[in-house]
Amino acid sequence: MERSGAMVQDGERALVPVASELAGTRTVPDGRVDVPRLLAAAAFGVAVEAQRRSLDAAAVVAGRLGRPLRALARPAVAVAEGSVAVARHHLDLDGWAERGLAEQRRAREVAARALGGLIATVVTAVLDEIDLDEVMARVDLDRIVRRIDPNQIAARIDLDTIVQRVDVGAIAERVDLDAIAARIDLDAIVQRVDLDAIVARVDIEAILARVDLPGLTEQVIDEVDLGEIIRESSSTMASETVDALRVQGMRVDGLVSRIVDRILQREGQRQTGPPVDELRR
Amino acid sequence: MTRAIRYTEAQALQGHRAGFASRVVADFIDLAVAWLLGLSALVAAGLIGYLLTGPPFQLPVLPNWLDGSALGVVAVLYLTITWAATGRSVGKQIAGLRVVTQSGRRMPLWRSFVRAVLYVLFPVGLLWILASRRNASVQDLILRTAVLYDWAYHPAEDAHPGEEHR
Repeated sequence: MERSGAMVQDGERALVPVASELAGTRTVPDGRVDVPRLLAAAAFGVAVEAQRRSLDAAAVVAGRLGRPLRALARPAVAVAEGSVAVARHHLDLDGWAERGLAEQRRAREVAARALGGLIATVVTAVLDEIDLDEVMARVDLDRIVRRIDPNQIAARIDLDTIVQRVDVGAIAERVDLDAIAARIDLDAIVQRVDLDAIVARVDIEAILARVDLPGLTEQVIDEVDLGEIIRESSSTMASETVDALRVQGMRVDGLVSRIVDRILQREGQRQTGPPVDELRR
Repeated sequence: MTRAIRYTEAQALQGHRAGFASRVVADFIDLAVAWLLGLSALVAAGLIGYLLTGPPFQLPVLPNWLDGSALGVVAVLYLTITWAATGRSVGKQIAGLRVVTQSGRRMPLWRSFVRAVLYVLFPVGLLWILASRRNASVQDLILRTAVLYDWAYHPAEDAHPGEEHR
């Protein structure tokens, strides 16, 4: 498996024996030599080497006789192509080619699987070897931080968008103002206020100097019309007396009229209505 | 300045013809006023004589025939002027009365004078108020005048003080 994978990957020229592979081939876990596997590998190695050398020789010959040979080969190639067309028709070359290609594909898939396994094995081994703490110790964070430009970062942050996404109402609902107020000690605050000092700084004299007391007094006196009050009260007293007298006069008038009318045995009331009404009638 | 009348019965009778008692009271007050005016005239005459002739100060003594008629003259003058001016003498002012013609107008001067003379010469004419259905004295019947309850203030320029009570 590993062998065929290496073959596909490197080609025949790069086929160099690997120590571990040879060791794996030559020994089994208990230390004894695995003879069949050793023989198979040797045969394969010999075949590969023979192929490589023949190819080299062919290359040398081709290099020397390239052009004339190619000129001569052209008719032969034409003949060969014609014969290939015939053979293809009669000997089922397509079928054989298909089988060959299928075999190629299978070999490639096997190689890919082998390569994946190999990579995993290598990476695991590498990771086992690496001491991450040591690596981190060698990283100079200060230097990295020094190269960071906070202003540039801040410029790239869109605060408006962030703020729009913040639900202030929800935050406010979660704030317990009563609890906050309960924790405020007003008495302590008031005790720290020095009222005497504040009062001492108030200049009452200056305030009084700004108040126009004589002007205010004059205004008040102007508003209160003492004369009118006295006139009102005296005239009210007089009119009350006079009104009482007049009403008494009216009552006596009515009484006298009724008495006289009874003596004179009159019927019906006197016609004492306003004279103007009489004129109208 | 018209002030409110607080008695409803008085308010209802405003503009109506006044009865006997009110008018007699008013006339007695006017008589007293006339007597005071005559006395004042005597005192004034005495003062003038005192200033002109020197002491002793004494009131002038009128002859008997003139004594009574002098008071009458003063009364006639006083009543004529006040009735013609406002329709009310001092007595009528206190009693809340006003003299007007039967059409409710203020009396002209001559009618006031005649009325005053008639009253001074024949005060018994007032008794007819008792008998009259319209509370009219003899003088009222002769001169076609009337005396009304009128507590309201009317300036002298108001020629129709009685019309307010229609």
